[in-house]
Amino acid sequence: MASLGRPVVSVRTLRSGVLGAPMIGYLAYVGRRLAQFVLVVFIGINLAYVITHASPIDPVEQSISAVTSYGNTAPEAIEQMRTSLRELYGLGGSPVAQYLVFWKRILGVDFGPSMSAFPTPVSTLIGRALPWTAGLLVVSTIVAWGLGSLLGGLAGYYRNSRGLKLMGVIAMGLHPIPYYILALVLLIVFGFIWPVLPISGGSAMNLPQTLTFDFVISVLQHAILPALSLILIGVGSWFLGMRALVSNVVTEDYVVYAELAGVRPWRVLSSYVMRNALPPQLTGLAISLGGIFNGAVITEKVFGYPGVGSLLVDAVYAGDYGLVLGVTTVSILGVSIGVLVIDLLYPLLDPRIKVS
Amino acid sequence: MRCIRALLLVACVLLPLPFLLATSGHAQGIPQNIPRKELLILENPEGTVKNAGWFNIWAINAGSQSNGLQQVALDTLWYIDPESGLDGVWDNSLAADKPQYNADFTEMTAKLRKGIYWSDGIEFTADDVVSTVTTQIKNPGMRFSAVLASNVATVDAPDPYTVVFKLKKPNSRFHANFTVRWGAVWILPKHVFEKEADPTRFDFNKPVSLGAYVLNSYDPDGKWYIWQLRDDWQRTTLGRYGKPGPKYLAYIDPGPPDKRVIAQLNHELDVIHDIAPEGMFALAKQSKVTRAWFKGFPYGHPDPTLPAVIFNTQNELFRNPDVRWALALLIDIKAVSMAAYRGAATITAIGVPPTGAHPATYHQPMEEWLKGFEIDTGKRKIKPYDPMIGKQIAEMLRPSMGEQIPSDPAEIARAFGMGWWKVDPQAAQELLEKAGFAKRGGAWTTPDGKPFIVRVMVEGDLRPVMTRAGTMIVQLWKQAGIDARIDVAQGTLPTRRAAGDFDTFIGWSVETWGGHPDLSYFLDSWHSQFVAEPGKSQPLRNWQRWSSPALDKIIESIRTVGFDDPKSIELGKDYIKLAVKEMPTIPLMAYNVFTAMDQTYWTGFPTSENPYANPVPNWGNSRYMLVKLKPAG
Repeated sequence: MASLGRPVVSVRTLRSGVLGAPMIGYLAYVGRRLAQFVLVVFIGINLAYVITHASPIDPVEQSISAVTSYGNTAPEAIEQMRTSLRELYGLGGSPVAQYLVFWKRILGVDFGPSMSAFPTPVSTLIGRALPWTAGLLVVSTIVAWGLGSLLGGLAGYYRNSRGLKLMGVIAMGLHPIPYYILALVLLIVFGFIWPVLPISGGSAMNLPQTLTFDFVISVLQHAILPALSLILIGVGSWFLGMRALVSNVVTEDYVVYAELAGVRPWRVLSSYVMRNALPPQLTGLAISLGGIFNGAVITEKVFGYPGVGSLLVDAVYAGDYGLVLGVTTVSILGVSIGVLVIDLLYPLLDPRIKVS
Repeated sequence: MRCIRALLLVACVLLPLPFLLATSGHAQGIPQNIPRKELLILENPEGTVKNAGWFNIWAINAGSQSNGLQQVALDTLWYIDPESGLDGVWDNSLAADKPQYNADFTEMTAKLRKGIYWSDGIEFTADDVVSTVTTQIKNPGMRFSAVLASNVATVDAPDPYTVVFKLKKPNSRFHANFTVRWGAVWILPKHVFEKEADPTRFDFNKPVSLGAYVLNSYDPDGKWYIWQLRDDWQRTTLGRYGKPGPKYLAYIDPGPPDKRVIAQLNHELDVIHDIAPEGMFALAKQSKVTRAWFKGFPYGHPDPTLPAVIFNTQNELFRNPDVRWALALLIDIKAVSMAAYRGAATITAIGVPPTGAHPATYHQPMEEWLKGFEIDTGKRKIKPYDPMIGKQIAEMLRPSMGEQIPSDPAEIARAFGMGWWKVDPQAAQELLEKAGFAKRGGAWTTPDGKPFIVRVMVEGDLRPVMTRAGTMIVQLWKQAGIDARIDVAQGTLPTRRAAGDFDTFIGWSVETWGGHPDLSYFLDSWHSQFVAEPGKSQPLRNWQRWSSPALDKIIESIRTVGFDDPKSIELGKDYIKLAVKEMPTIPLMAYNVFTAMDQTYWTGFPTSENPYANPVPNWGNSRYMLVKLKPAG
């Protein structure tokens, strides 16, 4: 995903602090990349707007269904309710006017009220769910990436190690298992057969969400199974990717030369092999980290873990455009910023890369 | 290699860490700091509540209702139990007596109980009822605003314990709005809401309770709510029946069906609201302490709701009752029962659910009429009713379920239903031909020569039992040469149902009080005055958009007789006969709800042997269960 172009300035030049034409070239590259970022975000948000508004689900009918399906509501009252809800949800006005209101809200970092949890602002709902999602997914993504990349790198370099070969077999075995199967197995093993781990929620019931030792331990306990499921599945793909990358790098001349020159193996591995194999993994990591704002729907459903994924699914079923747009906008920004940052940092991470 | 060994060592040290954090013995799925023996844990079927801190139930769609709020913290004038009730089906709750109407049903007076208090110590009076009505009429964004505004001309409190409603038009069933069947117009605390400039944006957190429990704590992420018994529970309407057993109630989101089963097997979930038949069978097999409505098969409680094949009668293809009857005669209800509920269904041929008071009021008395009922296929007259189908289902299941299947005919009828329509492809063919359809090369065509396509809309995974029933019906119709197709409308069904964007769907347009024979709960909405033009939104519940002058006459007659008047039962039977002849929907079975109750900590749950309440924990009526529960052991 990284945008690499014609070489104009080396990182070494940048680091030396020498300004001049090369630096101006780099700044131009940053400017172009920022413009590209703005365009991607703009198109992404517009697409999300169009898709959500093309949904066949009418939030007013969903609300009426929810309100009336359980009670004795006279039919003549329904039309009045329908009119009230349209006004309340701000669904009046022309499509153009609604579109302009939407952008005004986006620019003001205000997604308006949720229709399925009216009048609570969408930003409040997202703000409540996001820390859980971010906490779980950032940690599990980084752990899976770190473990997978490290072990994959070792496996690619020490190709004759039996232990690492075994890890390769395990990684290949875990990788194709459908996530929900693995999650259910963990649930049954640690929630029923050997019930030692909590299987639902983000923390224990009736424990105040304050920064106390009990609460922190409870959060950690509740995160173990969902995190473990994500790490077990995630580590396999990072492992296999890194092993393949390292397998290519170890045959490069400079690695062979370093080994022949007597450079210590650990230094060869860390400075010559791993560092040069890392950039594609880092790009993947950036995209994965950006994508955490989508939430992990299946994880949240299976483990009853609070988060943005469930919020998004519920919003889709309720036809709650505001909430869907809020979550997708955050997600679009997350992925775009992740890729932007990695693109701008790439030259600093890989000395071979020169930006155009 | 040394570094690999070091890394493996580190991994060996780190890997067990999660399990050091784990607790031994149980999965920590219960609330902390509350004695388990004082706690009843119930499923809130709403799942995770997005807007957890919102308790203003009078705002539309703002927060949770069945998180305990409507069951144990709110109250209203009357309750009707879907089963037999603690002290009869009818319960005067905040009202001291039944509603009193004037002769032409334009005025209703409610006398209120004395000595009932809000949890903040303020006495409940007629001013609260008046405020409930006027606040909502003034604010169209409130939940019951439309229904109250369309009915109430004035509401007054001549004294603190009397409320007089003057109605805009005669309505012999106005009290139904203040009568709980799942929910109702709940009474709001005037002294709290009168301080709010905009009651639609007031969260009512922490709620002031009129019920026997007050909010103890809740999860800001909406996974659980804990309620605590009020010290002054005697000053609530439930106090008449004694002290509720559990001191604490936790309404929780236990997650998907598999986890509900695990939680109950771990004794961390006392009441599962509903579960797939397979989950119920697993619990029955693995747990000796789990109890359902029926002691054995078919386990589930028949809800006063009637799943049916609902035709869009504004669709030209389904206007003719002969076509609707032909499609009914192609359905093998035994196969549908097996597909939907694995046989654990209570079937019904008539348009009233076979639950509560209805079998005695309608099903049994109508049996002789059904046996003699004839339809004219155009070539002959047939008697389509088979009174033995319920028994046949029981016999079909007996080899695999053994002693769990009752032998007593009355028990079989109660568990599996009575009769249904015979499968009669020949009569169906004659009826379709009578309607101008033709069978060419094994496939049916419509009178204008096009393939006879019937789409059956279902909700997919959101309602798996109905989806399975719909899928089986599609197969049966296909076998008869009809181009039947399943139409999955997951998430979009309410929108499409209201818009009339369907041929047929599996759902319900019949819901009743259950414990009371009056059918106006759903039937009034079937009057042709409420049928929308094609393309316009249909108000509930006449989703079939069926108009019938004969039905209008029945409904108008019911409107002129009192709620408890025996004439309304006779008029109800007239509706049943008309619906059988016209077949606007094909009634299938009761909506059996597999409520599973774990008796490890609590006993005294409602069952078919002791049917004092509907066991589903999300109904407002479920509060009556609390006074019957006793600690186990």
